[in-house]
Amino acid sequence: MEHQDKKRIILTLRWTAIIVTSYLILFGKGRVIDLYSSYVLIIVYLLSNVLLTFFPKTWFSNLKLFYPLVLFDTGIVSFGMYLSEKMATDFYIVFFLIIIFASVSRNFKLLMVIGGITALLYGVLLYTWGLLTKEESGSYTLRIPFIFIMTAFYGYIVQTLTKEKRKELTISEDKYRNLFENANDGIILLRDPQLQVADVNREVEKAIHYKKVELLQKEIFDLFIPEEVEKARDFFKEVVEKGEGRVDYLSLTKKDGFPLEVDFSIKRIDLGDESFYQMIFRDLTEQRKLEKKIRQSKRNLEAIFDGIRDQLSIQAPDYRILRVNRAVIEHYQTVFEKLIDRKCYEAYFLRSEPCEGCPVSVTIETKQPASSTMKRSEDNTTLQVFSYPILGEKGKLLSAIEYTKDITEQQRLQEQLIQSEKLAGIGILASGVAHEINNPLSGIIGMAEIALEEEDLAKKETYLKDILNCAQRISGIVTGLRSYSRAAKKEELSLVDLNGVLEESLKMVQLAVKGSSVEVIKEFQSIEKIRANMGEIQQVFTNLITNAFQAIDGKGGKLGLSTRLIEDWVEVKVSDNGKGIPHKYLNHIFDPFFTTKNPGEGTGLGLNIVYRIVTKYEGTIDVESREQIGTTFTIKFPIRRTET
Amino acid sequence: MSKKILIVDDEEVIRKFIKIHLVKLGYEVTEAADGEQAMEQLGKDDFDLLICDILMPKKDGWEVIREVKSNPRTKAIPVIVLTAKNEDSDMFKGYNLGANYYMTKPFTKAQLIYGLKLMLGETSEEIRA
Repeated sequence: MEHQDKKRIILTLRWTAIIVTSYLILFGKGRVIDLYSSYVLIIVYLLSNVLLTFFPKTWFSNLKLFYPLVLFDTGIVSFGMYLSEKMATDFYIVFFLIIIFASVSRNFKLLMVIGGITALLYGVLLYTWGLLTKEESGSYTLRIPFIFIMTAFYGYIVQTLTKEKRKELTISEDKYRNLFENANDGIILLRDPQLQVADVNREVEKAIHYKKVELLQKEIFDLFIPEEVEKARDFFKEVVEKGEGRVDYLSLTKKDGFPLEVDFSIKRIDLGDESFYQMIFRDLTEQRKLEKKIRQSKRNLEAIFDGIRDQLSIQAPDYRILRVNRAVIEHYQTVFEKLIDRKCYEAYFLRSEPCEGCPVSVTIETKQPASSTMKRSEDNTTLQVFSYPILGEKGKLLSAIEYTKDITEQQRLQEQLIQSEKLAGIGILASGVAHEINNPLSGIIGMAEIALEEEDLAKKETYLKDILNCAQRISGIVTGLRSYSRAAKKEELSLVDLNGVLEESLKMVQLAVKGSSVEVIKEFQSIEKIRANMGEIQQVFTNLITNAFQAIDGKGGKLGLSTRLIEDWVEVKVSDNGKGIPHKYLNHIFDPFFTTKNPGEGTGLGLNIVYRIVTKYEGTIDVESREQIGTTFTIKFPIRRTET
Repeated sequence: MSKKILIVDDEEVIRKFIKIHLVKLGYEVTEAADGEQAMEQLGKDDFDLLICDILMPKKDGWEVIREVKSNPRTKAIPVIVLTAKNEDSDMFKGYNLGANYYMTKPFTKAQLIYGLKLMLGETSEEIRA
C-alpha cells in the first residue's frame, strides 16, 4: 500500500473517531464532571489530527509513529469516557473489547465482521434494555457506529503494523533459507547447548548420503567416524567455550560408513530467541587428492633436484640462497642450515658483493637465462655457471636457479687435446722440415766428397761455396722453426699481428707440402693487432692453410690469404680452389673427431680446435664451400680498443 | 758407347755433384730441373737410367714415374727414386708405381754408385772400383 493511501485512511478514520467522541462528550446529555477539561480534551484531539496532516506521508509507514498514536488515541478516548458520565461502564467494556479484537486479529475483513456483529449485538442489547426509546436515545444510538468506527481505526492500525513486520520477517527468512539451501558448503544447524541437529541443507544430504529427516535430532557426535568421536568432543568443548572454532582434521561418517574428510568452521548464532551453532563444512576429498598429487610431484622434483650431481642453488632476487641440492652440500662439506638465507656470494665465494660476471646478476636484471665461466681462486677450479629465471604468474622474477658445473677437468682435457693436436701438427711440420733440410744436407755431403777428390783449387773453391750456401739455407730453416716453436710455446696473451702470423704459418706449411705447385695470393691490409695467445692463433692458421693445401690436388692450385678491417672486427680469409667440402659434411666439419681423411692421416680435431680457439677469443668462423670449386674459411676477431 | 743417365731434381747443387761423379765414371749425363723438363728429355732421347726426385714443382716425381712406366717405349728404363721423403709409406708408394730402387737423402757417393751400378747391371768388380 502506498504511503499516500495510508496517510489518507488514518486521517479519515481519526476525523471520524474525533467527531463521534466529541459528540458523545458534549451532547451525551449526561453529567459532565468537568466541562472545561472536556473542551480542552476535544481541542487537543482535534489539533492532534490537524498536526498529523502536516507530517510527511512516509512517516505513516513507520512503527515509531504508530505506537504513540495508538496510545494517544486510547488515552484521549478513555479520558473522554471518564469525563462523560453517560458513557457508563458498559461502554468501557465495549471499548476495550474493540482494542483486544483489533490487536489479536490478523485478518482485517474478519475484524470488520466482528466489529459489525459487536455493534449490532450492542444495539440489540440497548434496545432490549429499552434505552433506545427513551429521550436520551440519540446518544445511545450513536454508540453503535462508534464501536464500528473505533474497531476499524484500531484494526487498521494494528493490521498495518503487523503486516509490515511480517513482511520484513518473511523477506529475511527467505533470504536466509535461500543462502542456506543453495550454499556450496554443507551447513548443519545445531541446537545450543544440546548439540543436536536442528537443520541441514541439501549439500549435507549430498555429502554424507543421509536424508534430512534421518539427521534431525541426532547428536552431532553420531556424525563423526567412531575413531574420532573423542577428538570431536574435545573440539566441541572448546567451541562451546569460545563460541566458535575451526578444524580440518576430523572426518564425518557417510551413511555407508566411509569417512569424509572435511574442513569445519563453526560459530554460535542467534535466530529469534533461540541460539544455535552454525557448522559449515567443505568436502576435502578432492583437495586432499590434489594435495597428495602436489606432495608427490614435489617429492619427484626434490629427488631429481638432489639427484643431479652438478650443483644447483636457487637464489632470491636479493641473492639470498633459498634452496640447494645435495651436490652443493657435499661440495662445500657443510650443512643446509649454514647456507640458507645467506647471500650466495658470501656463502660460495666468500665475497662481500656479487661476483663480477655472475650470470645470476644478468638473470635478475633481464629475467633471461645466462651463463658464464668463472674461476674460483680458493680451490683453483673453473666453473661453468648457468642461471635460469623462475617467473611468477605475472612475469615477476621470483628466484633464479643457479646451475654450476665444475669444468676444471673438462678444461684440462681440452687443453691436453689442443696440446696433442699441436704436437700432431708439429709432427707433420717436422717431416716437412726434415725434407727441407735433407736437400741442402745432401748437397753438403755430395759437394764435400767431390771437393776432397778435386785437386784443382779453383774448382775446389766453387764446391766449398756450394757447401756454404747449403749450410746457410739449413741455418735459415732452423731459425724459422725456432721462432715458430717459440710462438707455439707461448702461454700468455700478447698483441698479435695477424698478418705476421699468417706469413709465418704459411712458410711452415709450405715446408711440409713443398713441391706442390700452388700459387699463393696474399691480400694483406694493415690491421690492428688483437690480444691473444700467439701460439693458438698460429695453430688456427697453420691448420687452415694445411687443409687448403691438402684440398688442392693437382695443377693450377691457388691459395688465397687475405686480411681486412671491418668496423670493430678484423677479418681473415683462407681460401682455396680445391676439391671443396661435400654439402652433407658442412654441418659436421667443426665436430671433434670428424674426418674424411684415411686413418692415420688426420685426427679429426684440427677444425674443432680451430673453432674452439676462435670462439675463445669471442670470434666467429664461417665456411663457404662448393665441391670442385673451392672452400673459403672466414674468421673474424673482435678488436677491443678500450683494453690495453 | 757410354750409357745415358737422366737426373731429375729441382735442387741444382744435387744435380751438379751427381753429374760430376757420373761424368768421372764415364756416363753421359742429362739434367732436368722439374717433372715437365724430365718428360721433355725422355721424349727426345733414349736413356739407360732415370734418377728422379719426388717433390718438385710443376710435375712431381710420382707423376713422372707413372708416365715413364706406362709408356711402352720408356717402360724398361730403370728408375732410381732419390728423395728426402724417408717414410716407409713413401717407399712403398714408389715401388708400387714401378720404381726400381729407392734412395733417401742425404746420401753418400758410395750409396749412389752402388744403386746406380746395380740398376745398370754392371759387375761387382766395377762397383768396388
